[in-house]
Amino acid sequence: MKKSLPYLLLVPALLFTVFVLVYPLVQNLINSVCDVSMIRGSNGWVGLHNYERIFNDTLFWHSFRNTAIYAIVGTLLALLVGLGFALLLNMKLGRISSIASFLYTIPWVISPVVAGFAWKWILNDRFGIVNYWLASAGIVKLGTSWLGDPGTALFCVMLARIWQFYPFAMVMFLAGLQTIPQEQYEAAAVDGATMVRRFFYITLPNLKSVSSVLLVLGVIWSFNDFNMVFVMTRGGPMNSSMVLPVLVRELSFVHFDLGRGSALSIVIFVLLVSLSYLYLKLIGGRESA
Amino acid sequence: MKKALLISLMVILALLVLLPFLWTFSTSLKPLNEVNKYPPEWTSVNMSLKPYSDMFFYLPFSTYTLNSLIVAFSSTILTLLIGSLAAFAFSRFQFAGKNVFLLIFLLSQMLPGASVIIPLFQLLQKVGLYDTHLGLILVHTAFLLPFVIWLLYGFFLAIPRDVEDAALIDGCSRMQALRKVILPLALPGMGATALFAFLGSWNEFFFALLLTSSDSTKTIPVGIGLFVGEYLDVWNQMAAAAVLFSLPPLILFLFTRKTFVKGLVAGAYR
Repeated sequence: MKKSLPYLLLVPALLFTVFVLVYPLVQNLINSVCDVSMIRGSNGWVGLHNYERIFNDTLFWHSFRNTAIYAIVGTLLALLVGLGFALLLNMKLGRISSIASFLYTIPWVISPVVAGFAWKWILNDRFGIVNYWLASAGIVKLGTSWLGDPGTALFCVMLARIWQFYPFAMVMFLAGLQTIPQEQYEAAAVDGATMVRRFFYITLPNLKSVSSVLLVLGVIWSFNDFNMVFVMTRGGPMNSSMVLPVLVRELSFVHFDLGRGSALSIVIFVLLVSLSYLYLKLIGGRESA
Repeated sequence: MKKALLISLMVILALLVLLPFLWTFSTSLKPLNEVNKYPPEWTSVNMSLKPYSDMFFYLPFSTYTLNSLIVAFSSTILTLLIGSLAAFAFSRFQFAGKNVFLLIFLLSQMLPGASVIIPLFQLLQKVGLYDTHLGLILVHTAFLLPFVIWLLYGFFLAIPRDVEDAALIDGCSRMQALRKVILPLALPGMGATALFAFLGSWNEFFFALLLTSSDSTKTIPVGIGLFVGEYLDVWNQMAAAAVLFSLPPLILFLFTRKTFVKGLVAGAYR
């Protein structure tokens, strides 16, 4: 009894994990080699046909490219913004810093759906405040449709995503900044190092491990992000801002092709596992270091 | 001088960061004819709370709110119950395969919703739980569990073993020790974890969107996410819904900032 108690305690949690992890993966693998349609029902084994169709589809490669840009460029920029904010908050202005850090974190706390809605509304072509300001300043002409233009839609969604993700980087960087030993700065000051040199030779090297964890986590999360793209553009116009998670929904619940949707799910899963492996390596390396 | 400069920079940045919300808030108070007006204005004499009552009257947001509350509360309770059992096992026992189990939970936290949604959809349809509160509660619980276990594991570890040993010597069983000693001591941590779980379910959009179909089960984010595009003409009511829906997370965040930030940092490293 005594020996089995910890296992008994884990059983409920494991059942749930099987429910969301093991079962779906197995079922997805089965789906992906079958013809499963919500309209025509299940029509048996088709081999790798679903995968073939995905890899021969230019929309897949286009979405893959978009997802990569959205995840990598978006995360890098969010990290830069987050670092800037963290440095500003680290100036230690007492109560003001504390209020500011509360306000700056709000985009991360609010539901992504509300965030998407708010961005869509300020970018509205006719009644949005952004267009009004830009048009008043003579930068664009009125009625410029940022989200309706295939050339700018993905960029706008990425901007909203950066805005939503930077607070996380800010909080992590701030925690990192506060662990840098003050003596290092004092020694540098004694040696007459300028502020810029101190930043590049003390601050940045000390933030290396935090940055790499943030980069990988950020890329993983943005790679998985469905909400912002779906709420703001649904992948449009003309699939110009399509990303892989939204494409899964499109194939499965708009075209009702569950087989092809499952095959794409497996492809996403494999990509994500590779990224997660990198993440585990990173935090593992941090602990042993 | 330098301080004044820094403070003004902070204020400008705060306004810039909050611009989408400020504009949404302003919209939520305006009558429709002023929402669709050019040039747009931040304030107007006709501002009122009418869009807030209209949204409950004309759009099905009262049902959505009830659904969101049911799903978020149930998921939180279920996740905490199951999660604390697992966290207790991890923090107080040595057993074969412990690290493997921990790794499984860590990995399931990385799992993208898009790669499991189709089988979950098929399963819920098969057992008759598609488009029900219970179905969504089970899925939310499953997805919140890993993070909740990690958080509780940390809180449980921080409770000194001596206290528990004393209880065991006094004749408590292991489960009694969990109930009478560990849980009360872990209460603040449990509270913070409950908030995370609640917000996770409250804000969740992807599963709520794809695993429900009727108004009697849709949650608020689904309502907002779907109406953007369909009811373009009632931006003020949509904005009101967005503002109301954001209040619980904002209030919770205001009162639990320290724990929230700590959890954020710890969660990323584990």
